[in-house]
Amino acid sequence: MKFIIQIIATIIVCFLLQSFLPWWTLAVGASAVAYFIDNNALPSFVAGFIGAALLWIGMAYYLDQATHSIITEKVNKLLPLNAFLLTGIVGGMVGGLSALTGTFLRSK
Amino acid sequence: MKIIKVGLALVVTVSLVYFLNTSHNFGSPIPPLGKFLSPFQGFWQNAQTSSQNSETLSIPGLKDKVTIVYDSALIPHIYANHDEDLFLAQGYITAKNRLWQMEFQTHAAGGRISEVIGKAALDFDRTQRRLGMGYAAEVSVKSMESNPTAKLMVDSYTQGINAYIQSLDESSLPIEYKLLGYEPEPWTNLKSAYLLKYMAKTLNTGERDLEMTNALKLFGKETIELLFPDNEGVADPIVDRTNQWGFKPTTLDSVQLAVPQQLVNIMPFEKSPPDVGSNNWAVGGSKTASGSPILCNDPHLELNLPSIWYIIHLSGPGINSMGASLPGSPSIISGFNDSIAWGVTNAQRDLVDWFKIEFKDNAKKEYKLDGSWVAAKKRVEEIKVKGAPIFYDTVTYTHQGPIVFDSSFHGANEKSHFAYRWIAHDPSEEVMTFYKLNRAKNHADYMEALNHYSSPAQNFVFACVNGDIAMRIQGKYPVRRKNEGKFILDGTKSSSDWQAFIPSDQNVMDKNPARGFVSSANQFPADATYPYYVQASNWEAYRNRRINQVLRELNKCTPQDLMNLQLDNFNLKASESLPTFLTNLDSTSFTGDALEAYKILKAWDYKNEIDSEGASYYEAWIRAFVPMVWDEFSNDKVALPWPSTYLTIKLMKEQPALAFFDIKSTPEKETVKEVIQKSFADAVEVIAKWKKEKNANPRWASYKDAVVNHLLKQKAFSYNIEHGGNSSIVNAHSKTHGPSWRMVVSLEKAGINAWGVYPGGQSGNPGSPYYNNLLNLWTQGKYVKFTFTSESEKMKGKELAIITLKPASK
Repeated sequence: MKFIIQIIATIIVCFLLQSFLPWWTLAVGASAVAYFIDNNALPSFVAGFIGAALLWIGMAYYLDQATHSIITEKVNKLLPLNAFLLTGIVGGMVGGLSALTGTFLRSK
Repeated sequence: MKIIKVGLALVVTVSLVYFLNTSHNFGSPIPPLGKFLSPFQGFWQNAQTSSQNSETLSIPGLKDKVTIVYDSALIPHIYANHDEDLFLAQGYITAKNRLWQMEFQTHAAGGRISEVIGKAALDFDRTQRRLGMGYAAEVSVKSMESNPTAKLMVDSYTQGINAYIQSLDESSLPIEYKLLGYEPEPWTNLKSAYLLKYMAKTLNTGERDLEMTNALKLFGKETIELLFPDNEGVADPIVDRTNQWGFKPTTLDSVQLAVPQQLVNIMPFEKSPPDVGSNNWAVGGSKTASGSPILCNDPHLELNLPSIWYIIHLSGPGINSMGASLPGSPSIISGFNDSIAWGVTNAQRDLVDWFKIEFKDNAKKEYKLDGSWVAAKKRVEEIKVKGAPIFYDTVTYTHQGPIVFDSSFHGANEKSHFAYRWIAHDPSEEVMTFYKLNRAKNHADYMEALNHYSSPAQNFVFACVNGDIAMRIQGKYPVRRKNEGKFILDGTKSSSDWQAFIPSDQNVMDKNPARGFVSSANQFPADATYPYYVQASNWEAYRNRRINQVLRELNKCTPQDLMNLQLDNFNLKASESLPTFLTNLDSTSFTGDALEAYKILKAWDYKNEIDSEGASYYEAWIRAFVPMVWDEFSNDKVALPWPSTYLTIKLMKEQPALAFFDIKSTPEKETVKEVIQKSFADAVEVIAKWKKEKNANPRWASYKDAVVNHLLKQKAFSYNIEHGGNSSIVNAHSKTHGPSWRMVVSLEKAGINAWGVYPGGQSGNPGSPYYNNLLNLWTQGKYVKFTFTSESEKMKGKELAIITLKPASK
């Protein structure tokens, strides 16, 4: 249950933060959520990863659909991986590692 | 234990975030990935739909309300009540659509690309700086700012661009900034000056003085006169007023010094390719169906995205003008207003010279002039390099100009130094020409506007609703002595300097000629009785004749007929050379590929249409033939010029036994016949190889393989296109160059009708549907019919969006 709550909380908190502040507030949001939810290390990392990745992919998907993939098609030609996948991995890694840091900070 | 765990996790997380927030270079450059990929501020945010938001914005510095109406092609129609507001709005809306390009092009002009992409661009940057681009732009901005009207115009334009820059945040930055990991800096008037110098460099650097000097030394005077005549006698000059020039020319007392006898051991910088050129013409009412003049213009430049042109409509007090503007420079460059239309082609004239300088010693602090030592000036260029320390480049200037090459740059030794004299280094106020042309009502206004114009010299075509048509080859030209400017000049004597300039009213010009039209396509400007010596390295030989041939025959012509002429794919060069090629070819033993090529060429109609295979075979053949003829001019030790293709074909017909037709590397003595046979075999092989590689038939468009590149040569933002034509053809579209703007204006008394198109789109954003919306029209040979009205209310129902700019309350 905590796992699901952490994912959802990460999505909401990070969405709000990044709507107004620079992209790296993703790390601040994910670690704060993990600190308060107090999960174990591994589930916390995974939840942070999934939360951040879902948020980034979801937001990217929304923009992509609204604009008929006009920029995604082009950027795909210049990235080594599919743009969604890479966005998910980068967002997820930042989210996961930040969550882990938050969890360690809380644990005794 | 906890501290270690937390510390470790924290360090890893912060390092990752830091890594993802900076750009890197692991062989190929990598953007700041976190920033770039974040859907909240990265590239995803650059995606747009075809709808545009109407909005009202507060802009500091504005005097009154300005209405900007975007039409369905995203062309902005600006309605303002003050000159200042009009130019401010032009700057604002141009930046909104083209900011990255504007800044990048001025960075390129000023030699600041290393700052953005790193060391790889250092040589390019140094070349720009050492040609004196910075010096030229500084001189130019000074003269701009000393004229109150010009100052007001550029100040307001700059203010508008900066208002847009200030409105940007991380997410709305153009994608190229995100990709390269940098941010726009404030715009300045100097940047606008840089842009005009960038055009001047593109259009003036066809010279080959160093190469010609080498050729003179190696081959002698007679050969030079045969292979590089001042005038190839191709056909009509742009203006023919034989014996009617009627003025007393400025003459020089001093005689030009003897031509130099030396080899120059410098590999000159890359020249503008010969496919930079243009067409323009105006047909008088006597030849049109409507009885009113029609004016056409298509400048040929490298085709890039975002395009060099931006279509705009400027309406305000005393001005209602529309056409193509250069992003980064106020006003319209090629366009029309309620009364007149105008357009430009390059005048080709030689406006660049190299003076051989004798320095006292390697410090290059003093140089010899008329027997005494004169102090040279030093200019230190500070070049910022991404990921490396600042590079300082000291450039020596004599009174003629900068020493481009020395031991620190492309110069093999310290013995030969050449000062670069370029007309674009002189003060000038081109912005006033365009300010006045945009407002001109008649021929007299057009003439007055052109009096302000010095560089780069252009053939300005003109037509007026009152029926007048005209042509004026305007620029600031030195008065030349015979042969002056073809070779390097002696910089130790002030008598070899540019002594005087042709008075502006003695430039080549014409109004309402008897033939009923004026035209120019970069050919020789005037008949033999024009009282000044005229010289250039690359007069055009084919487009101009084809255009005049068609215009002479046209009667009761319509705008559509003239669009057809802009799109004309007839290959005059092929029609003048292929018959001779084929009659000299011994085809008796041909089988397979050779036989097929022979048959296709025999059946070809000389048109470079998309599907013509003959065009591909001919192109492969002439590309093999010309270098085989001029093998004597391929020298890996010194740079040499090549005679023109026109002259090569003429010699092939008239002097088939000329010694140059012998191929040096073979023991046999070849004549034209053998060279034709051999080059045909080579061409067949080239095409056979191409067919095997591509597994396709050599249709002209496939073989040409044309591309419209993004300015960063970024493939993802570039397009391959299929279009007919080639260089030397009226539709001058080669692999990378071509008609960068096509305009047709019918100047009817009841109102102007105008059409235009360019291979690009109004938006510079690769994430916008307007990034390439005009490119597809252009490729298909279609035009946009312009909506042109001085009343913003009449735009109702035609608008995509309305942007209202309001003065910001203080």
